[in-house]
Amino acid sequence: MSAAISLESVSKQYGPKTIVRDLSFQVGKGEIVGFLGPNGAGKTTTMRMIAGVSTATSGRVSVGGYDMATQNERAAEKIGYLPEHPPLYDTLEIGQYLRFVAKVKGVPRSEINSEIERVSLACRLEDVRRREIYKLSKGYRQRVGLAQALLGKPEVLLLDEPTAGLDPGQIQETREVIRKFGAEHAVLLSTHILPEVTMICQRVAIINDGRLLAIDSPANLQRAAEQSNQVTLTIRAPVTELEAELRTVNGVLGMIIHPLPGVEGVFSVNCLVESREGVEAAIARAVANRWELYRLERQQPTLENIFLRYIQSPTQKASN
Amino acid sequence: MLAVFQKEILIYFRSPIAYFVVAVFLLGTGYFFLYDIFSTGNAIMNETFRNMGILLITLIPLVSMRLFSSEYSGRTMELLTTLPIRPWQVVLGKYLGAVAILLVMTVATAINLVPMYLYGNPESSTILSGYLGFVLLGMACLAIGQFFSSLTQNQIVAALVTVSVLLAFWFIGHLKEFQSSDTLHDLFGYLSFANHFGDFIRGLLRSEGVLFYLIVSAIALTLNAGFLRWRR
Repeated sequence: MSAAISLESVSKQYGPKTIVRDLSFQVGKGEIVGFLGPNGAGKTTTMRMIAGVSTATSGRVSVGGYDMATQNERAAEKIGYLPEHPPLYDTLEIGQYLRFVAKVKGVPRSEINSEIERVSLACRLEDVRRREIYKLSKGYRQRVGLAQALLGKPEVLLLDEPTAGLDPGQIQETREVIRKFGAEHAVLLSTHILPEVTMICQRVAIINDGRLLAIDSPANLQRAAEQSNQVTLTIRAPVTELEAELRTVNGVLGMIIHPLPGVEGVFSVNCLVESREGVEAAIARAVANRWELYRLERQQPTLENIFLRYIQSPTQKASN
Repeated sequence: MLAVFQKEILIYFRSPIAYFVVAVFLLGTGYFFLYDIFSTGNAIMNETFRNMGILLITLIPLVSMRLFSSEYSGRTMELLTTLPIRPWQVVLGKYLGAVAILLVMTVATAINLVPMYLYGNPESSTILSGYLGFVLLGMACLAIGQFFSSLTQNQIVAALVTVSVLLAFWFIGHLKEFQSSDTLHDLFGYLSFANHFGDFIRGLLRSEGVLFYLIVSAIALTLNAGFLRWRR
């Protein structure tokens, strides 16, 4: 198998706590995979296992064909890693820091300068190379961290929230850097920002509570989610009668009703409905004649909704 | 390993700690030197070396405390563990960086020798032996300090534990007088940093003394590298 990153039923335990359970997926060369999950889902723990910071309790992690448990020093040559907090030496200048990392990565002496030049340009650091790291803003620190990871053109790039702390312009540039790099290398990036995933990732892995819930292309995930669309309505009605009425409508699978804050007697209803056409029309017919209907809307599945749907139903099987 | 060594030197001299330690050490040494020379009127450095030893033991923890603790607290350890470099290379690179500071301290004290050779007739072999003992003692102390630094992310804790352990090793020789058992008597004597150092100061260059400090350093560094591997 030629996967650049490969996880086979990987688990990680810290004492009695299981952080990652039975996780399996692959990232191939030339592929950017987004790693999506709420805080504490096990994203960072997984990243750290792939990077070789910690070892898996069970299962097998391999990078570039090397087993991280036994050959991690060989694998390390193939990995560029940007942890959640950029690992910087505050007292050094940016240039000195990058030179140190380049040397340890084994970049040949004659290429060190051009390599530092390359990553500085890519990460927009060319004007600040003489600046001490402790003086840098959060955005710059993040970019120095990314530059460090790109040094030596590693086969595998692991980025733990690479755009955190950047302003919108910088985010755009950083995405461009990642996209370019991902064309020839394997990239795994974790993020909270959902649109980012749709923009640059070929595939998305959603994890929660240490389990892989789904891994697929953003488009396929969206399609899968369309099977259970949502209709939201805002309505003035007695709540028990409203619920009874809605349950009689053909195609409504379930609902959540909560009062609209600040307006007496008005409720906001989230109906889970079948995907076929006309369900919202049936709902409208059922309620509009009896009560005052303010708003009725069919929600398109955004990646946000898919994400929430997956993490709210932990029993959901991985779709792939 | 060379890259780590260079980085350590760079960081030492870009922060005030190295300057502070070297300055305090030179002030102290200068004072002891003058005091001893004027009080005895002899061109010998025995007492000066002894005081330098104690001064070294209290200052070394300030040099060694940051070696790993700062990597933990600055989250740069994550970088070092993922870069293609083995734990022993990190350990040795850092150690040599700290030893370089020790050598700077040692060489700087040579200024005391200038008036001594100008106005007196000291015994060069004894002084050289004393300096060798001093460097070896410093190396052992640094290795111990570096090991304790790898156990905590708090530099102050690392320094406090190191200074306690070093003082214990320095004064452990006193305990031997109270031992009725010969084995314990010899053991306490052998473990004493001060006893071995005393030999060097008197011009007694013994392989036993050299080996003692080197073995202590090697044990501490091995534990250090072993701990880093285990931590993963």
